[in-house]
Amino acid sequence: MSQQRKAIWEADLDEELQDVDLNLAIGSYGQNDLYNDGTRPASLANDVLNRPSTVQSRIDEATLVAVQQQMAQQAAFASIPDVVKRFIVHFHQAVLENNLAEITVAYESGWNRLTEKFYAKTEWPEAEVIAPLVNDDQIFLILYRELYYRHVYSRLQPDIDDRFHSYENSCELFNYLLNSDGPVPLQLPEQWLWDIIDEFIYQFQSFCTWRTKVKSKTDEELQLLGEGNQVWSSYSVLNVLYSLIQKSKINEHILALQEGKSTEEIAEIVGEYGVRPLYRMLGYFSIIGLLRVHSLLGDFTLALKVMENVELNQKSPFTRVTACHVTTYYYVGFCYIMLRRYSDAIRAFVSILNFILRMRQYHTRSYQYDQINKTADRMYALFAICNALSPSRLDDNIFNTAKERFGEQITKMSRGEEGIPAFEELFIYACPKFISANPPPYEDPELLQAYIDDPPVEPIQRHLSLFLSEVRAQVPVPTLRSFLKLYTSLDAKKLANFLDADEEEMVQQMMVMKQASRSISRVENGKGLLDGQTISTSDLDFVIDDNMVHIAESTVGRRYAGWFIRNTEHAQRVYDTIKSSPLPPRKVNVTQTQPAQAAPAPPRNAGAKVAWGGIKVA
Amino acid sequence: MVSASEWAAPPTRTELIENLVSGVDRYNPNNVGILEDYLYHQIRSQEYDCLANLAILKLYQFNPDLYNPDVVINILIKALTAYPFPDFNLCISLLDERPFPANPDEPDPLPSLLPVLTSLYNLLQQCRFPAFWALYRSDKAESLRDNYTVECVGFEDSVREVVIRAVTPAFKRIGTDRLSTYLDLSGDDLTAYIEKLGWSLDAESGVATLPLNPDNQIVSTVVQENIQLPQLTKIIAHTQTVA
Repeated sequence: MSQQRKAIWEADLDEELQDVDLNLAIGSYGQNDLYNDGTRPASLANDVLNRPSTVQSRIDEATLVAVQQQMAQQAAFASIPDVVKRFIVHFHQAVLENNLAEITVAYESGWNRLTEKFYAKTEWPEAEVIAPLVNDDQIFLILYRELYYRHVYSRLQPDIDDRFHSYENSCELFNYLLNSDGPVPLQLPEQWLWDIIDEFIYQFQSFCTWRTKVKSKTDEELQLLGEGNQVWSSYSVLNVLYSLIQKSKINEHILALQEGKSTEEIAEIVGEYGVRPLYRMLGYFSIIGLLRVHSLLGDFTLALKVMENVELNQKSPFTRVTACHVTTYYYVGFCYIMLRRYSDAIRAFVSILNFILRMRQYHTRSYQYDQINKTADRMYALFAICNALSPSRLDDNIFNTAKERFGEQITKMSRGEEGIPAFEELFIYACPKFISANPPPYEDPELLQAYIDDPPVEPIQRHLSLFLSEVRAQVPVPTLRSFLKLYTSLDAKKLANFLDADEEEMVQQMMVMKQASRSISRVENGKGLLDGQTISTSDLDFVIDDNMVHIAESTVGRRYAGWFIRNTEHAQRVYDTIKSSPLPPRKVNVTQTQPAQAAPAPPRNAGAKVAWGGIKVA
Repeated sequence: MVSASEWAAPPTRTELIENLVSGVDRYNPNNVGILEDYLYHQIRSQEYDCLANLAILKLYQFNPDLYNPDVVINILIKALTAYPFPDFNLCISLLDERPFPANPDEPDPLPSLLPVLTSLYNLLQQCRFPAFWALYRSDKAESLRDNYTVECVGFEDSVREVVIRAVTPAFKRIGTDRLSTYLDLSGDDLTAYIEKLGWSLDAESGVATLPLNPDNQIVSTVVQENIQLPQLTKIIAHTQTVA
């Protein structure tokens, strides 16, 4: 469908925009002289909707600088290709008119196409340069800058100015959304809304990682960082997400939906902000955003707790944006791993990996596809880890794919102590990019030096060591399993001899194994992701009777019902088709049957069963 | 075993704490006092509330100047007794990189005690109970014992509960010698403890019998397929339509 749209877009572009007077757009630049006198167009938090009134140029120098700026900008403006100019104008029109369909097309295909064509290695023109095309519409410029910085972060290397400015821009955007008088009359496609939140968190994460690399900073950067320690602070990021949730009353909304309230009641509950889809979806995506931020900061229980009203099934709103869907399951699964709830994690990964396999054919739009595939790969690694720690026979399909990809590590992981490097490798590959909440002490040069001399452990190493301690505790389990599988009852001393271990140690290892086979898992009626009951996850069970070990193994009987039913229905379908198809025409003319007889001679036997009345009569 | 919903919301939690833990106020540094008081309440009355303690650690994560090593050590001690829940590791996840020394006069006891606590936890993870008691009673843990666990009411009993939680599913009958090494009790203390648990003790052969529970009764099961009638409706209905 997007193919079709692309064509329409391309075909009609010239005709559609005939009526937009490009000359007028460029010509008005001259009128904007007043705005550009000595002041750069404001991009700071406060002057969102105020247009500076006529500023008189007082000093000649200021005028000169302004004129120089104008010339630079005009040059930059002239170098923008016409296609891009038209696109920007069209985009702006669509945003002004709240034409959701047009915005979606422009956002999803137009922007990406033009990036590929003109700006694959450079930045898009700055917002100030294209400002005249959109009549200095500040709202649109904020949105434009959002896209501009997203491009910089993904394709190019952002420098410290870019990082600071992108933060300011995000603040402006959220300020506009949250602190205007009443809800704003803007409509944006859901994909974009998710991308805003996603990108915001990504830039935060990127900044935190960059911030901890103290040694490579220039003096100027050090100074800027020392002064600006509110920029990209954890509290402000969390503040944004929580504010969006509170403004849109999304939690109350979800609860009301679950209780089956009517639309009027819901509208009353959520207030004027919550009824608008823009705020509702932003609130919803902020919940997922909080899940992600808490996981990055290492607080896994809180991450699952904020999701307590969101149901993990195919009907939830987050499935409407694929990237959001995949991200949610990834973080939920990862949190379960750190909470040692491996069966829950496996269940989450299996469902999302199946989903990705099914929808792969529909989503080949380049940038999203790559991202989703990368996340899917990491989830296969996490699935392999979980399976090694808590073997279950849930989904052979996924397990086979995981084996293809990580077969080497999987074999190593089931070998106990030697497998620990394999666990480490997969964990580091697949875990989220953890961040630390606090910046290095840039304000204080002494402390900073101490920090450089003796840097603290990186968050990822910390979490890795915690995870490995859990793994190490379960190291004796696979060997024990393989021995216990062979017996129904066994003396403890004998088992100790087989394992070449001290009996007491072995008994302790068996207790570990028993505990490993019991874990908390969500059951059908449980609400919320933190709930659960203890279930048994292993098919091998044992009990120690003073010194005798009794073993019982559960097996799964052969499953034939599904296969049987499917094939029966298939046979029925074939039968129905044959029965209802028209019979071949009766051959009335006898002489004509002679050559007809010769032809079907080989399949004669088969033909005899079907009533070819004509031949028989002859 | 305690179900997860109790772990997430213990019945001993008051409404005030519940609002703090579930709402946005948990980020307010002024509320750290309330949560710390709640922690001391837990210590004194042998209760435990994991999420509230994690909230304290989160506040410390964002406001390093609030950092109070005694509180952290107490939280970790409490988390030790929650095994097999992964609380101890969750707490350590939230302990960010070394916080900047606010007070050079009072030395920070955490860095020296943390390895001891971690080893104790690892021993519990690996169910090495005799080694646990040995380490706990040794000199290395002396500072821990004298300053912290002595304040925590029923710490040793809580650890014994952890041991029992590990022993119950795995054993049908267990020798008293073995049990005494696990529990660090002997003679009359042991007998009294076993009776309190409700297990029956056979004094002559020195074997304690555990009550039957879902975990230590093993049955070899064959998971049979359960074909439901609705699955077959289509096939059966078809036979009706075919004349």
